[in-house]
Amino acid sequence: MTSTAAENTQASETEDAAGAERKIIGFFCRECAYAAADATGNARVSLPTTIRSVLVPCTGRVSPLHLLSALADGADGVYVAGCLVGQCHYREGNLHALDRIEFAQALLQSVGVEPERVQMFTMSAADSPRFVEAAREMHETISNLPPLQRKCK
Amino acid sequence: MRCGVFLCECGGNISDVLDLDSLADSARGQDGVVSISRNQFMCGTEGRRMIEQAVEERGLDRIVIGACSRRFQGPTFERIARELRLGENAVAFGNLREGCSFIHRDQPDKAQLKAEKIVSAAVARARFQSDLPRGRTFLHRSALVVGGGIAGIAAAEELSGAGIDVHLVEREQSLGGYMARLSKTFPTEDCAMCSLAPQLTGAALDPRIHVRTLTDVTEISGPPGEFRVKLRQRPRFVSEACVGCDDCTPACPVSVSSEFDLGVAKRKAISRPFANAVPSLYAIDKRGSSPCKSACPAGTSAQGYVALVVEGRFDEAYRVASGPNPFPSVCGRICTHPCESACARAEVDQPLAIAALKRFVADRVGPETVLEKVPVIHSEKVAIIGAGPAGLSCARDLAKLGYQTTVFEALPVAGGMLKTGIPDYRLPKDVLGREIAQVTALGVELKLGQRAGKDFTIDGLLENGYSAAFLAVGLQKSSEVEIPGAELEGSERAVEFLRRLNLGKPVSVGDRVVVIGGGDVALDAARSSIRLQKTSGREPKVTLAYRRTREQMPALDEEVEQAIEEGLEIEFLVAPLEIVGKKGRVSALRLQRCKLGEPDSSGRRRPVPIEGDVTEIEADTVVFAIGQDMVCDFLEGCDGVSVEGGQIRIGRDTLMTGKAGVFAGGDAAATGGWTAIEAIAAGTRAARSIHNYLRDETLLQVWEPEAAQARPSAEELAGREVGRRIPITVLDRMERRGSWDEVVNGYSEEDAIAEASRCLACAVCSECEACVRACPAGAIELDQQETVEELAVGAIIVATGHKEFDARRKIPLGFGRFSNVVTQSQIARLLAPSGPTAGELERPSDGTVPKKIFMLQCVGSRDCTSSGNEHCSAICCLFSTLHASLIKQHYPDADITIGYTDLRAPGKAHEEYYRLVQERGVRYVRSRVGEVMEEPDKSLRVRFEDTVTGRKNEELFDLVVLAAGLEASAGTTEIAHVAGLQQGSAGFIKEYHPKLRPVDTQRPGIFVAGTAQGPKNIPDTIAQAKAAAARVVSMLSAGFVLTPAQIASSDLEQCIGCGICETVCPQGAVELSGGDSPHSIVDANSCRGCGICVAECPSGAMTLGGFSDEEILAEVMV
Repeated sequence: MTSTAAENTQASETEDAAGAERKIIGFFCRECAYAAADATGNARVSLPTTIRSVLVPCTGRVSPLHLLSALADGADGVYVAGCLVGQCHYREGNLHALDRIEFAQALLQSVGVEPERVQMFTMSAADSPRFVEAAREMHETISNLPPLQRKCK
Repeated sequence: MRCGVFLCECGGNISDVLDLDSLADSARGQDGVVSISRNQFMCGTEGRRMIEQAVEERGLDRIVIGACSRRFQGPTFERIARELRLGENAVAFGNLREGCSFIHRDQPDKAQLKAEKIVSAAVARARFQSDLPRGRTFLHRSALVVGGGIAGIAAAEELSGAGIDVHLVEREQSLGGYMARLSKTFPTEDCAMCSLAPQLTGAALDPRIHVRTLTDVTEISGPPGEFRVKLRQRPRFVSEACVGCDDCTPACPVSVSSEFDLGVAKRKAISRPFANAVPSLYAIDKRGSSPCKSACPAGTSAQGYVALVVEGRFDEAYRVASGPNPFPSVCGRICTHPCESACARAEVDQPLAIAALKRFVADRVGPETVLEKVPVIHSEKVAIIGAGPAGLSCARDLAKLGYQTTVFEALPVAGGMLKTGIPDYRLPKDVLGREIAQVTALGVELKLGQRAGKDFTIDGLLENGYSAAFLAVGLQKSSEVEIPGAELEGSERAVEFLRRLNLGKPVSVGDRVVVIGGGDVALDAARSSIRLQKTSGREPKVTLAYRRTREQMPALDEEVEQAIEEGLEIEFLVAPLEIVGKKGRVSALRLQRCKLGEPDSSGRRRPVPIEGDVTEIEADTVVFAIGQDMVCDFLEGCDGVSVEGGQIRIGRDTLMTGKAGVFAGGDAAATGGWTAIEAIAAGTRAARSIHNYLRDETLLQVWEPEAAQARPSAEELAGREVGRRIPITVLDRMERRGSWDEVVNGYSEEDAIAEASRCLACAVCSECEACVRACPAGAIELDQQETVEELAVGAIIVATGHKEFDARRKIPLGFGRFSNVVTQSQIARLLAPSGPTAGELERPSDGTVPKKIFMLQCVGSRDCTSSGNEHCSAICCLFSTLHASLIKQHYPDADITIGYTDLRAPGKAHEEYYRLVQERGVRYVRSRVGEVMEEPDKSLRVRFEDTVTGRKNEELFDLVVLAAGLEASAGTTEIAHVAGLQQGSAGFIKEYHPKLRPVDTQRPGIFVAGTAQGPKNIPDTIAQAKAAAARVVSMLSAGFVLTPAQIASSDLEQCIGCGICETVCPQGAVELSGGDSPHSIVDANSCRGCGICVAECPSGAMTLGGFSDEEILAEVMV
């Protein structure tokens, strides 16, 4: 454990006590994940308010720049949701996204930030339950982590 | 930026959860926002007017919509922005409904905070959203319709009426699809073919509809309006000259299950599915080369003559068997039959006894057949050296081509190794003699006792009237033996030993014979020795000494088995060391015992001596059968022919030696595997090559082009009953010692036909050419090839139809096991007046009319198990009702029960029809079927529960009919892959929107109609087909279309020409230009706006319209 992380833990206890809600950004592909999100909405399923959705045409559009910018700007977690592996509407866009997620995770780990703050989930457009499961899981994970501390000037 | 924010109440969906006034306040403060509006339904006319007004009055250049998901009403607002001349990318969206109010109804406070963020994000994003340029794509005024069933035909008709050129492509050999198979249609009981036939004729005659059958779509590329399509048309093997007289089908000997008749009848390899087929031509089902034909060096179509034997057409069978091979009687006895090793029947039980069948045909027909002599039409004469199988085959084929040939043979008899090598108990003298006589009867001149190099020279022949020569001298001497004692008296060489024997010269052996070797020559020497041995004195013994194991012996299994029956003993893993002599005669043989070591160059494990392990066995005769070499004296006076490695050197393609006009083949030239059939094949090839040489033109193919091998599928094999080969009988072993009578008996006619009936007809058409001879129009073209065509079309309609659920998956129902369990589609074929039973309902097991019938509904439909589909197949309730009605009218005594789950009759007049059929006496029982069991008399015992009364029943029925559900056809899945279309459950094509766009697919310009989209009846199919046609007409009527806005583009200044974008693009829409400073170019028509290239671009040159980094980051980092 690095000293930075130790500082994080101390600070997070006061933050938690203040009850600050986490912020999560979700990048959802237009073909599957955003469609599943809309279906979830139409079914009036209740979800945590921590997650704000951003529509992209394909998860392959999401680059590490977007992921890290989200974290730098105030998100405690960011996730990407796209089509099932082998069923990306643009052939292998979701595989590119997976690569970038792994890259971002490795980068974060190397600077002492929990890699699970960045994740990817896959689902089909008809699979609203899966979308809900992913959203709740991400919310759970990030809520169990302290709010992300930033040292940016 | 002058941004207007428009908040929608969505009729309370949003405003019941979020406080829109408070939201408006928070938005008002944001930089760039100059106007806030609010409406109950922002997407309606009032909302639109509000936007128009605000844009005009407040000078807005950006619009932010806080409403439902942009996936829902996005296009509406984009269109408004476009019409207000702001450009559609001037709109940013905040998802306040599905993304907020709907999912946070229980947390309104937190939802409010989130909503503020959502709107701020949209405003921030809007600042970076700039106008996107759009180009124009020209639209081809033509369409491709994939699938020639009623949907495809109805769509084609409509398109043609609108002046659009239609390419109607169908993979079966005729248009018609599923509807052509039906008897009558519900609820009107109209005759299906009567309704369909005029449509078929219409499509055939319409000059704007271009029909292609036997055709698949293999590639679709390009943008809507300019699709580039690749079509592959399989060969029909029948030309347009076909007049449909049907003289061919009685001639064809191959019968297979008919796909058109859904398995209730058979068809021939050449067939036409129904009389009004479009086109009306017949077609041949030829799946390539059968394994037996591919394996035969001479390319004999074994499948061909076997099929003819089944029908008792022995003369035609003989013609097929002897076409490529003048020695069918001989080969039927002594061939190594590679065809049998390849026979696919081995995967069911045992390979066919192809050689024995050939022998049967040749023995039966051959001797009587007088071959037609072909007159000599060429002036050139050809000399053949050697009257063995290679030489005589070459001579025969040259004679048939019209050449005068002379065969020079050194021995006083013809036949080569067939004569001098193979003993009579395998190949009787008269059998070989007859077939040689048939060759000479064609006009081939045979000069015996003429040795090349001694009595004449080849150079001399070429100078004196012969234009070409074929050297077929074989390998006439045994290989050298170099062990001590090899020259003692009693030490023989197999080739010479057998030659003396077969030429009638005196040959004797002792009572302790040892034959060294493991091939067929060794076996011939051994079994001949058994017959030559005297039985007086002590018990004679013949031993075979082989240096490897039984499994590795090259001799034919049947030879070894028969030899062992005759008393042969075999010593394995022994190598000869020395022959021990006494008084100049052989007295014993010393052998080195070996074990198997590493594999040698032939791939077999080589024997390795075991140190010190030597044995000695008594022997008075030793015969060496360890190899053959060429006798080279024929080369005297033949300059230019070279020998390498003991064989004549030839060019593989032409079989010509280094000397022009001199060819070689058979054992002497290593053209094959040192067997008779290889020599025969070499002879026939050489004849073709010589013909090409003499005519100075490649008129004939010397080597057959490789054809794809056809083998039956695993499914076809699984359906076969396991049996065994009809046994070939042999002479009793007690009668064989000392006798030279033929050991192996031929088949009787009955056995031959029974054995031939086991053939699987792997290639279906066997190229027996019976149809060619039968066709009066000369329309058969067996060498047709497939053709590939490229088209450009503006739009595509997918109408590839459905297939029936495979009812075998419902194991307790017995379909596929019990002959009297059928499906409704099969009943349709049986009831069809033009069907296989002319409309009579015949029970499959015995052809009688069934009295008591049970019809089971929902087989494979409404099924939540893993062996069925969840959906309802829509038509089965009425389909069964229809057939029940038809049967009852035709057979008033019939007792029909329909076991249904629910009776669904939603269409027009369906309920009324259902009621009518009940009044006709058809019994409907709401039931759950447990099991169908077969009685010994093939009737069926059905166990079912009446779910209304709860009573369990068990009743006997004559026939059980399953209403098997609908699934997407195999063709639908294939076109989905080719066209990049999504499939839903059971493989049906996914429409763009199930309610609002039911005939569009996800791909613009590609539409779907008919049962490819989902189960439906005929009127609904036609309606959908016309709807898809209308979509095409409206799409193409503008003449051009705007290229999409949200596409990638490259900044030439930034682009470093790395080409990564080209590699990752799933559409192939990005190309790297050539030249000194390459840069990427995006094809605006093909780009589908995924953005993968943008994220991959290392220089930041790539951007995506509407999804640039600035836009995305603005939305994220608010």
